[in-house]
Amino acid sequence: MAAPSLDVVVVEITNANNYSQLSHSLRTFAPNDIRDTILAGPLTNGQDPLTVLDIAQHTVGVLYILSARFRTKVNLPTLVYLETFCQNFDVPQAIVASEHVVYLARNLQDIAESTDSPKQPLTCLLHLVSRFPPTPSHLTPIHPIFIAGCVTTGHFEVALSVLQIPITEIDNLLGDLHYNDNLVYHYAGGMAFAALKKWEEAEEFFEICVSSPAQVPAAIQLEAYKKLTLVQLISRGTTAAVPKYTNNSLVRLLKTSPYGSFAKAYPQQTGTLRKIVESDGALFANDGNTGLINQALERAPRRLIKRLTSTYLTLSLAEIGKNVRISDVEEVRALVLKMIEQDEICATISADDTVTFSDPPAQFSKTEIDQVLAEAQNQAALFAVLNRDVGKSKEFLTKATKNKDEWGGPPEEEIYAGGNVGAWMEEA
Amino acid sequence: MDIDEDNNQNLRGTTRGISTPVILVDNNHPFDIEAYSSSYTGRTAVDRLVYIINICPQLAVPALQLAVQHIFKTRDVDLYRNIAGAYDVMAVNAQLPPAAEVAPLDQVWYDEWTSKNLAEKTRLEVELKTYTSNMIKESIRMAHRDLGQFYLSVGDYTGALKHFTKIRESCTTSQHVVDMCIAILELLILQGNYSHISTYVFKADTALDAASNAASASTTPVIPGTGPAKKSQERAKWQTKLDFASALAHLGQGNYEKAANLFLKLGPVKELGEWVGKLIAPGDIGIAGTLCALASLSRSAIKSQLLENESFSIYIEYEPYVRELVEAYMASKFSTVLDLLERYSARHLVDIHFGQHIKNLTDLIKSRALVLYFQPFSSIKLERMATAFGWTVQQVEEQVVSLIQAGEIRGRVDSQNKILKAKEADARSELFARALRSGKEMQAANRKLLLRMRLQQADLIVKAPKNRGEGTAPRQTEYFNE
Repeated sequence: MAAPSLDVVVVEITNANNYSQLSHSLRTFAPNDIRDTILAGPLTNGQDPLTVLDIAQHTVGVLYILSARFRTKVNLPTLVYLETFCQNFDVPQAIVASEHVVYLARNLQDIAESTDSPKQPLTCLLHLVSRFPPTPSHLTPIHPIFIAGCVTTGHFEVALSVLQIPITEIDNLLGDLHYNDNLVYHYAGGMAFAALKKWEEAEEFFEICVSSPAQVPAAIQLEAYKKLTLVQLISRGTTAAVPKYTNNSLVRLLKTSPYGSFAKAYPQQTGTLRKIVESDGALFANDGNTGLINQALERAPRRLIKRLTSTYLTLSLAEIGKNVRISDVEEVRALVLKMIEQDEICATISADDTVTFSDPPAQFSKTEIDQVLAEAQNQAALFAVLNRDVGKSKEFLTKATKNKDEWGGPPEEEIYAGGNVGAWMEEA
Repeated sequence: MDIDEDNNQNLRGTTRGISTPVILVDNNHPFDIEAYSSSYTGRTAVDRLVYIINICPQLAVPALQLAVQHIFKTRDVDLYRNIAGAYDVMAVNAQLPPAAEVAPLDQVWYDEWTSKNLAEKTRLEVELKTYTSNMIKESIRMAHRDLGQFYLSVGDYTGALKHFTKIRESCTTSQHVVDMCIAILELLILQGNYSHISTYVFKADTALDAASNAASASTTPVIPGTGPAKKSQERAKWQTKLDFASALAHLGQGNYEKAANLFLKLGPVKELGEWVGKLIAPGDIGIAGTLCALASLSRSAIKSQLLENESFSIYIEYEPYVRELVEAYMASKFSTVLDLLERYSARHLVDIHFGQHIKNLTDLIKSRALVLYFQPFSSIKLERMATAFGWTVQQVEEQVVSLIQAGEIRGRVDSQNKILKAKEADARSELFARALRSGKEMQAANRKLLLRMRLQQADLIVKAPKNRGEGTAPRQTEYFNE
């Protein structure tokens, strides 16, 4: 059977109304080796098929042609065209051909990383990421590609709008997700936040990466843990324990690494810290963490001063200097002033070089409280829904009924009596 | 068996050896070595005196003399040489007369007991062999017990432990198990092997339970009501010993609060039976219990468990100053407390069981006293605290600062004016801040857990790679340089 020409294929695309069928036939209309050549070529009249096809109406077809062109590296589409595509593609159709969307994203990432002006391909990716998933809290395979692209090109701000919405949904219909997608997304997200000095968010992202379910720890998780440790030292001065469900060997690995000893010595033992940095500087540099280490070191005196505020009411600059091991009074004064300016401590310096610490005034506005309350209520409602969903899911019910004998709880009617009866009635 | 025998051999020597404080005895720090040693008999008396020789050169000569007197009453022929050796090491440094001059060896005693010991050992071992070949369980048990006792009396702890633990195989009743445990506990306490004590206390406890259950089961037809009473009587006989052993174990491992609670629970002196003198003097229990209590218990607990405790007050009577100490503490006369602690430091430090902990205990008592003293004030001059405690302002400030940093005192130091001010807690805003913070944390935790649940549902779990590399991080570049 001779392979159909592109004209035939384009007609099929324009006439199709069942997209998964179309996708199937596009995948199988010709042997592998010539299919891409056909799809990437021009129409018989020399026209570019992309000008014939409408992006919104024929998303599946356009995606196949784009993929073929990227693969054969002929007739590469312009960025302007790609941007229009990303803004206008039809979401349900794209989901049918999700692997091609991911492929497109990969290519956009490559473009972004190989040009001097990555802004435009990144914007394309941003459109893709924000339009493709049903809600912004869904994770898709495009997410890690986009964020990694932003991080490698140094355009962290672009990623912010996506990163600010936490991922809580996973749906495998949106393309084949691999555990790496989740790890890379949160790792790269953490890097972006850390680069923007948004420590709290960075901490959360690294922590998610570290504590992701793992039978064996992945290398990226250990890298994330190293960065998490440093970020915590910078933002709070101590490390916090990772969640209990974190893989144990990760915790062990970190504790025995130079990062563990660095965290242990932080912030008092300035001498030890410097020694660690000297002896393991190459390792930190190799991990790409020298910048974070330096920032942590730089902030160590601030941490110590902050700690002093809870112990002392007044203290002379010289004594502060003694405590943080800075011998130059002027340097201490500059540091304290900077901290006061940045609202890190609440203090005044009097003429005789005495620093008087005071408590930061507590500030809670009614609107703030109301907002927090509303958030809490939303969460409660969300969990009620989730709880119900799990309660009626097949897996849960099979497990619950299987273990009923050993369970020995009260009969089911009693458990589900009360508020939940309504839900069961609906089911019936 | 449960005990690593080799390690135990030098246990006392090593743990004691690390930080042996040198003790001063003078008019301000009185210590009567004769009165002290007269409270003990047998091996512990010798051990305690040897300890004194090691840490207090001043008293080495009388200690050696007294120790030798005790040695000649025992049958441990090697002990003399060991002690004289220890003394001589000391004597060289402190320029004291050699051991041979201070307390010469009684050759008659030495020869007599050397041969007697050998004969006894052979006799007991032959007995054991006969019984073992005849397989008479009860006799085997007794033979092991006798051999254990024998080795103990000649100072071979390893041998003694070996035979004591073998008793177990031929125990037929719970009572036998209890007997064995008590014998081993005695040995462990002599050795100062605190970490293993709890094992045998636990074993004895279980055996006691079994014994009393068996007893009450066999006597069920007897009038109800007498059962539990009898049971508790049976138990009480051993309970004091067991409590004492575990109190010592906790003390030895630095759990002062648990030790205090157990010491304060001890029954009357007579229930310790032959252990009084053989292992410890009642006064020691009074001191150790009180110090642990002062260092770890709250004021109300001290009042109810110590001051109003009749059986414990008997222990205190042996060392009258202890009562003074407690009363000064309760009356908040802290400088008296510290004076008393200082004055009797020699008495405390020479003790073989709690001597090592005196520094910790004193520090704990000091910080508790500081916390208690500051409690009623909203602000106080450090100077005034210094006079109350008999310290310099500098010392007080250091102590107070370390206590604030440890979270014991809720206050702040005005270092310029030397004033300690209590933190004015604004309960309302603190509550709001805490509520907001925990709300935020909770939401973050929920979010993360939800994601985790979804990941698990979708089976996105990191698994061991089949043949390809693990997850690789995106290309590493340095972004964090400012």
